[in-house]
Amino acid sequence: MEVTILVQATDRSFEILENAREKSKQILDTAARLTSESQAVHRKRVEAIFKGARQTKREITRFTATFIILFGFWLLLSGHYDLFHISIGLLCCGLVSHATHDLLFANPRAGDMRVIVKRFITYIPWLFYQIVLSNMHVVRLALGPKNLIDPKIIEFKTKLESDISFVTLANSITLTPGTITLDIRDGVFYVHAVSKKTAEDLLTGEMEDKIAHIFMEADHVYVQDTLDIAPVFVALK
Amino acid sequence: MSGVNDMMTKQSDDVIVKTVSRLLIPFMQIYALYVIAHGHYSPGGGFQGGVILGASIILLVITYGLDNALRKMSEKMNTILCSTGVFIYAGIGALCLILGGNFLDYAELDQILHVGIAHARSLGILGVEVGVGATVMAAMISIFLDIATGGLPSKEKNIQGKRA
Repeated sequence: MEVTILVQATDRSFEILENAREKSKQILDTAARLTSESQAVHRKRVEAIFKGARQTKREITRFTATFIILFGFWLLLSGHYDLFHISIGLLCCGLVSHATHDLLFANPRAGDMRVIVKRFITYIPWLFYQIVLSNMHVVRLALGPKNLIDPKIIEFKTKLESDISFVTLANSITLTPGTITLDIRDGVFYVHAVSKKTAEDLLTGEMEDKIAHIFMEADHVYVQDTLDIAPVFVALK
Repeated sequence: MSGVNDMMTKQSDDVIVKTVSRLLIPFMQIYALYVIAHGHYSPGGGFQGGVILGASIILLVITYGLDNALRKMSEKMNTILCSTGVFIYAGIGALCLILGGNFLDYAELDQILHVGIAHARSLGILGVEVGVGATVMAAMISIFLDIATGGLPSKEKNIQGKRA
């Protein structure tokens, strides 16, 4: 008697596990499909930027974040910290934030913005280090035997999705001496490299990996973030 | 002639240009307002700040196309801003006349503001600079739009000037 109940219980539990596995597979498939539709989603996002934000709470957070950033910029520019100029600054930042907050923060993003900002700030010293290394390599190329100079144009398909990560990767590649981003078409990067070593350093994909880690994209997708972002994509459609 | 309009409605197809320009536009506008507000102290003033403001909207037109940019800053809003700037300038001048002084004699504004004559003059100048900035921005944008659209009116009935 107990054996049959036990068998039924194990069958039922296996069923539940199977259902859970199916559901999670479906969710991850949807996430993969949504994040790989670059062209159509991008065009829709651009339209969404200019049709104005619809969700009010998201709009208020965007407004305050834009206001804080712009007011910091105002304080940096203006040397006067008396009441008159600061009140003018508050008024001007309020006007500009109201007009352009949907330009500065355009993409609904998986994950918390504060984590992304923190990771971005820790990425910058690593980028400086890469710039120093590439600088030394280029100096060796310029002063040494010229047969090491072997310019070529590399193309590689990137695993990043959003426009800000594309731009961060392209600017990082251009900032490190020895490589220049020529064009980005349909998620494929065209990069000009001046020697074999710089090309190989680029093609290891370490920089791309780090940037995917900052913006929580590609292999660095976390399941909870995908579940958080799914209703936003549904609302965008 | 419709070819000109089609060219301007096309967006730039480079993702770097589009992203960087949309990130840069708020900072350009803050810089322009800083130039206007600190005209009494550092180089700048109304005209210079107005040109920078106009340039920020022109950048928007160049990178994102005419339709999207007109949603942000419609031609109707442009015209209103233009006249409002002139109204502010002439209005402050007329206010000084009404209060008993000469045209644009800002010392008379002290009767309303009660901050002292020197301060009243300074605030009066700041006020007219704001008016100048608004008008110059509108003039820059309208000159650019006239050249860009070839003088044809935009299809304003289809493009909603207001946010959806």
